[in-house]
Amino acid sequence: MTRGSQAYSALRICWFNGLIPLWRSPLLVAAVFLTPFSFLFFLFVIEGPTNPGLLPFGITGGILFSTLFAGNGMLNDCAYLRLERQLQTIFVASPVRPFSYLLGMALSELAFAAPAIGLFILILALVHPFGLGTLLVLLGVIGLTWLMATTLGFLISTFFRQLREIWPIGTLIFSTLAILPPIFYPASVIPARWQWAAFLVPSTYASQLARVALGLSFGSPLTPPLLNAPWFYVLGLVGSTALFAGLASALSRWREP
Amino acid sequence: MDALVAESLTKVYLGRGRRRTLALDGVDLRIGKGKLFAFLGRNGAGKTTFIKIAATLLAPTSGRVSLFGEDVLAHAPRLREQIAVVPQEGRPFFHLTPREHVYEYLRVRGAGAESAHARTEEVIAAMGLEPYAGIQAQALSGGLQQRTLVAMILATEAPFLFLDEPTLGMDPFARRQVWKVIRQATRKGSTVLLTTHYLDEAEHLSEELAVIEAGRIRYRGTASDLKSSLAREVRLEFGPGFTAEELTPFGRVYVEGDRTVLLTRRSAVRELTELALERGSEVALGPVTLEEAFLELVGRPIEEEA
Ligand SMILES: Nc1ncnc2c1ncn2[C@@H]1O[C@H](COP(=O)(O)OP(=O)(O)O)[C@@H](O)[C@H]1O
Ligand SMILES: [Mg+2]
Repeated sequence: MTRGSQAYSALRICWFNGLIPLWRSPLLVAAVFLTPFSFLFFLFVIEGPTNPGLLPFGITGGILFSTLFAGNGMLNDCAYLRLERQLQTIFVASPVRPFSYLLGMALSELAFAAPAIGLFILILALVHPFGLGTLLVLLGVIGLTWLMATTLGFLISTFFRQLREIWPIGTLIFSTLAILPPIFYPASVIPARWQWAAFLVPSTYASQLARVALGLSFGSPLTPPLLNAPWFYVLGLVGSTALFAGLASALSRWREP
Repeated sequence: MDALVAESLTKVYLGRGRRRTLALDGVDLRIGKGKLFAFLGRNGAGKTTFIKIAATLLAPTSGRVSLFGEDVLAHAPRLREQIAVVPQEGRPFFHLTPREHVYEYLRVRGAGAESAHARTEEVIAAMGLEPYAGIQAQALSGGLQQRTLVAMILATEAPFLFLDEPTLGMDPFARRQVWKVIRQATRKGSTVLLTTHYLDEAEHLSEELAVIEAGRIRYRGTASDLKSSLAREVRLEFGPGFTAEELTPFGRVYVEGDRTVLLTRRSAVRELTELALERGSEVALGPVTLEEAFLELVGRPIEEEA
């Protein structure tokens, strides 16, 4: 098959594995909304009255949380199709290339997350209006974060032989990416000498970049000063995405050992 | 030309705690192009392992397999365009109907809208899936889910079709319908390798079969040759009046209800039938069944787990 038809295969997989199920069980969307909205709700109730400036941080956090958890969905769905349904097999033993399968699955996860992401963007636009340029940067950040999270999810999924082992690992890894680092809260609230530690987690770069684009700031600048440089965020986000995507295509166990 | 050639194919699985399982032990096999070939063997004999290696899904420990003259390890991407696999214990997509399964899979594999459409309707009809074609798989019985998977793979008309226990869980009527479509696939030029532990399936469907046991091929040929190639090639069924113990010296004995079945040599027939007449006991003479031939060859019944 040509490259064009490989891309078409990926879209086709997104259609029947993402969009059709979404249309037939809309409850799947509710599941994606639930956690980030609860975080946002608590933030609003606890912090809202005293610090209204924090609300856009929380909403941006909701956007990134929904995007990052597409990776957890990817981990679970890829493992499920491979281990419980033996369906990865029918794509491996076919003209579909590994990358097309990976992309098709990742696009399916994006389809599940898209309603939540869209709604958060809408709320953000109401609370904290922004221009088209900012929206484009925001979409770029979402795109890279999605690619980073889903390739990471796929990569991890290939190392398991039992579905039962995956659930705690996925929750652990993606909570570490989406809850622990400054996704819902400003990085400046971390004690100054620990601020660098937040940048060990790749999602921090995405979050910081989105905030720079949106012009959100809170508290004093981070230390060391490097941690405030937009190019550093871009480098971190692009670098970690490239790393996971590269690892996923190199190490993924397409043929069982 | 051979569609598949396996040479000294060996697979050792490394399990938890360094446990090693020898699943294939130096298998040599050739399957001619356009043939309908069956692997017959007990659970755990190594059938799935062979299919997975040949279908580019699993790496062998040693030895090699080639399809249409090309090594499956070296030329996997190219070979994958020419194969399709029904995985063992596969399950369809939850939210898709049988019609969508067939159509979408054809499209994913690169078929155009029109030909995919026509082919889908053809296969749905041939597989008897019409009444269920619009129902989501999650609401279908296990047998219908399996038929959906087989339909989507057979629809591809790939040059090499691997079917791992394709009729598992189907009723006898559905199985015959599936056999018909599998035969059609070979008539159109596909080579088919299927595994089964249904003896009637191997006997009625395949042109040739291989009996595999403990990772080795014990027999390769036609079902009827298998039955006649055995040392004990006749089957004597005795009514009451004979005990298993006294018949044991003549061959393999097993008891079926109040009858005692003996698989033995032709040369013993006269003596034993005369003895039965003397005792006034019934005796029936016939050819061994494939089930008995298997038992003779492997030493265990096919239903017994390895
Ligand atoms: N992934 C695996 N890890 C370890 N052992 C395995 C694995 N898959 C199969 N086996 C073992 O290899 C042998 C052959 O299995 P298999 O090829 O599935 O047989 P069959 O398909 O004939 O039932 C069995 O003993 C089985 O337990
Ligand atoms: Mg098997």
